[in-house]
Amino acid sequence: MAESVVTTVPGGWAVLAGILLCGLAFFAVALDAALSARAQGTGGGWGAPLGRAARLLRQRRRSTVAADTLLWRIGGAGMLVGAFLMIAVIPLGEWTLADLDVGVVWFNTVDVMVWALVWLAGWGANSAHGLVGGYRFLAHGVAYELPLMFALVAPAIAAGSLSVGEVAAAQDGVWFVVWMPVAFLVFLVGVTGFSVWGPFAPALAADIGGGVLAELSGVDRLVLQAGRYLFLTAGAAFSVPLFLGGGAGPVLPGWAWVLVKSVLVLAVLVWLRRRIPLLRPDRFMEIGWVVLLPAAVLQDLVVSLVVVWKG
Amino acid sequence: MYSGIVAMALVALSVVVLLYALHRAAVITAEPLTVLPAQSGWMPQEHALSRFHARWYLASIVFLAFDVEMLFMYPWAVVVIEKGISAVVEMFLFLGALLVAVAWAWREGAFRWA
Amino acid sequence: MGLSGALARLAVRATRVLVVEVPGHWATRMEVEHQLLRRGWRPAWTPADADVLAVCGVPGPELSELVDRLWEQMPGPRVRADITSPGTVGSALDAAAALLLDTPHHRTDAQERAQEPEIPEDADHGGHGGMGHGGMDHGEMDHGEMDHGGHGGMDHSGHGGMDHGGMDHGEMDHGGHGGMDHSGHGGMDHGGMDHGEMDHGGHGGMDHSGHGGMDMAPGGIALAGGGEDRDGLEMDVLHLPLGPVLPFWPAGLVLRCSLQGDVVVDAEASVVDGAGAGGPGPGPAPAAVVWCDQVMALLALAGVEDAAACARRARDALLCGDEDAARDAVERLDRTVRRSWLLRSSLRGVLLLDRAGLERHGLPGHCRGDAHDRLLSRVERIRAEAGGTEPTPAEDGGVPWAVVPDLVTGLELASVRLAVASLDLDPHPAVQAVGHG
Repeated sequence: MAESVVTTVPGGWAVLAGILLCGLAFFAVALDAALSARAQGTGGGWGAPLGRAARLLRQRRRSTVAADTLLWRIGGAGMLVGAFLMIAVIPLGEWTLADLDVGVVWFNTVDVMVWALVWLAGWGANSAHGLVGGYRFLAHGVAYELPLMFALVAPAIAAGSLSVGEVAAAQDGVWFVVWMPVAFLVFLVGVTGFSVWGPFAPALAADIGGGVLAELSGVDRLVLQAGRYLFLTAGAAFSVPLFLGGGAGPVLPGWAWVLVKSVLVLAVLVWLRRRIPLLRPDRFMEIGWVVLLPAAVLQDLVVSLVVVWKG
Repeated sequence: MYSGIVAMALVALSVVVLLYALHRAAVITAEPLTVLPAQSGWMPQEHALSRFHARWYLASIVFLAFDVEMLFMYPWAVVVIEKGISAVVEMFLFLGALLVAVAWAWREGAFRWA
Repeated sequence: MGLSGALARLAVRATRVLVVEVPGHWATRMEVEHQLLRRGWRPAWTPADADVLAVCGVPGPELSELVDRLWEQMPGPRVRADITSPGTVGSALDAAAALLLDTPHHRTDAQERAQEPEIPEDADHGGHGGMGHGGMDHGEMDHGEMDHGGHGGMDHSGHGGMDHGGMDHGEMDHGGHGGMDHSGHGGMDHGGMDHGEMDHGGHGGMDHSGHGGMDMAPGGIALAGGGEDRDGLEMDVLHLPLGPVLPFWPAGLVLRCSLQGDVVVDAEASVVDGAGAGGPGPGPAPAAVVWCDQVMALLALAGVEDAAACARRARDALLCGDEDAARDAVERLDRTVRRSWLLRSSLRGVLLLDRAGLERHGLPGHCRGDAHDRLLSRVERIRAEAGGTEPTPAEDGGVPWAVVPDLVTGLELASVRLAVASLDLDPHPAVQAVGHG
């Protein structure tokens, strides 16, 4: 392996990475609550994450008759764990926890894990609402996952590497978002998809009483909900080395730029949720396959032609 | 190389354990309650765990075909600069063939199921 | 104590309320929704997520039973607030907030309440019409020796002329997941069967489909039975009643759906307690308020939260007579709904009714088109009403609830919800006849 462009820090720093991730996710919850309160004309809402967490910590856990409890709990807690695993390969400026030479594939691996987790959380409750919710998510997954994979490949082609650090370093002159905007947009669609967020939340929607969430209470609900926000945060943070130049930027040090860019992407995703209707799986299936997938493949073609022509 | 990932997994697991411990300390009763599934208050007529009719099974089969292709795509992405235009032509002929299959599946209605 | 008190105070700021509307008590429900948001509380969608159960109006016997069961499903800390009039909403919610803080009370409640749900021993799962129990003869059956490892409650629905006289289940061990499905056998004679040495431990996985209606019932609830779907595949059928306590659902309406996957293959509509059992309500709501409420439900189900919030503000402003605020909110609602092409693409084609369809179902002319057309025309009517500039077009009647099953059969669940929300269902339905899908 060639000389690495990022420094791998000892494992102990994982604690700091975890704290940063939680902090950003906390911001996402607060922003969402504040926007929600503003739309309702009530104001406030910034303190919501604390109140919500306290409520769920005080609330009793419940189980349903003949529930598949083990699988159900794996689904919930797995969401939280998965988001942490995802950020392990994101370089914070010049440091990274794990400089995998297949970092991009690692991201992909973790996001596919969400399929199993959400479905398990829906299945385990032995409730019709949860079951319908779980399958709704799988239907979404079948439609968003392939375009997401092709979007992930675009920066890797341009950098000639699957290491996240090298992809970020390859954007010295011009950020990838500038000449692969389609891949960037498809990537963000994928991020909202695996976070079960915004338009991709029919699995948790009101029409089926919260779907996968319908039977969860107490800390079991807390870990699943936190997991969603953490995944949204991790996905937003991953777009920074992939498309937004990593730590590149004037004045501020690299790590600060990574955080600033992550917060901006995250804020946009949180804000958009309120304006975009739910994409019902049956409608999105066709969009995913007939619009997003060819678009992402074409983007890859353009990117590979450009790199071959230049290099 | 993987120590960072292992460390991260440990941190994540300890967050889960911490949350469950906090809950145990703060909750009104640690023992979970067993209830009927929510059905607007009606008694459930049967268990929900059943053979669910996933009507998009055709799409999932098309997905599988394409998904396997990603095995080639990732390594290919790394060497495309080295190998030059021939690699691009080969890969996109292959992808083109798959997209023709997708178009055919679309025409057959594999992605419409509502 | 100080710490847990602080935690409780923090938690109460995020209280979630499960709102039950007794048909006719729309004013109380709207006032509850209004006051919730002012406190920073939010509505809960299921009992699992609820801290407060707010019952608006005095429920009749059938709804009371459902409310009691919802109450049993709430995890706790839980508080029940019975609110009989809009004037008492504030004080009831204050009292609920105060009681939520009382941790010792909730600890006692958690210890003393039933820890497991009560499942009737007989297989007739209360009030779920449509199951054929005719001609059952349990007379000769001897359950005395059966050992279901404490799970009790077999489901012998539809046994026809079976004779279980000599069955000996004495040594059976149904530990855990059973998984036996003996559906649909009629007329078998199990007289000489000896299940003596069978061991169904673990996941069993025995499938005797086509063998007699002897459903093993883990936990006292039957396993799902099969049925042919529209493609001729045999798939399990789940029965899911929608309503009366479901977010953004017409008060009192119950739609008993048979689901295959998420497609409604059969439905049956009724009104909880019949109509008029809800006691004296405040009378019919002003038309514009009802329409705003319906628009809010449709937008919320479609997932456009900002637009739904806008509709709610318009509704509340209309309700309290604040005309300027109402006009502003309605104008904004109109702009938002008209401009959003995403919303249009989401609602386009949902329950498309042409002239022939309207005639076949006996629906009024304003239901014509798809859910998006109906949304636009309703917002238009709200504008006319709130602006007071044009005379309100003559109302040609709401949609009778009995027609709903015919309309939604064959749709997928999300579309069913959007379709129901897009119709001008009579908010206080009167009992006429039960419709069949």
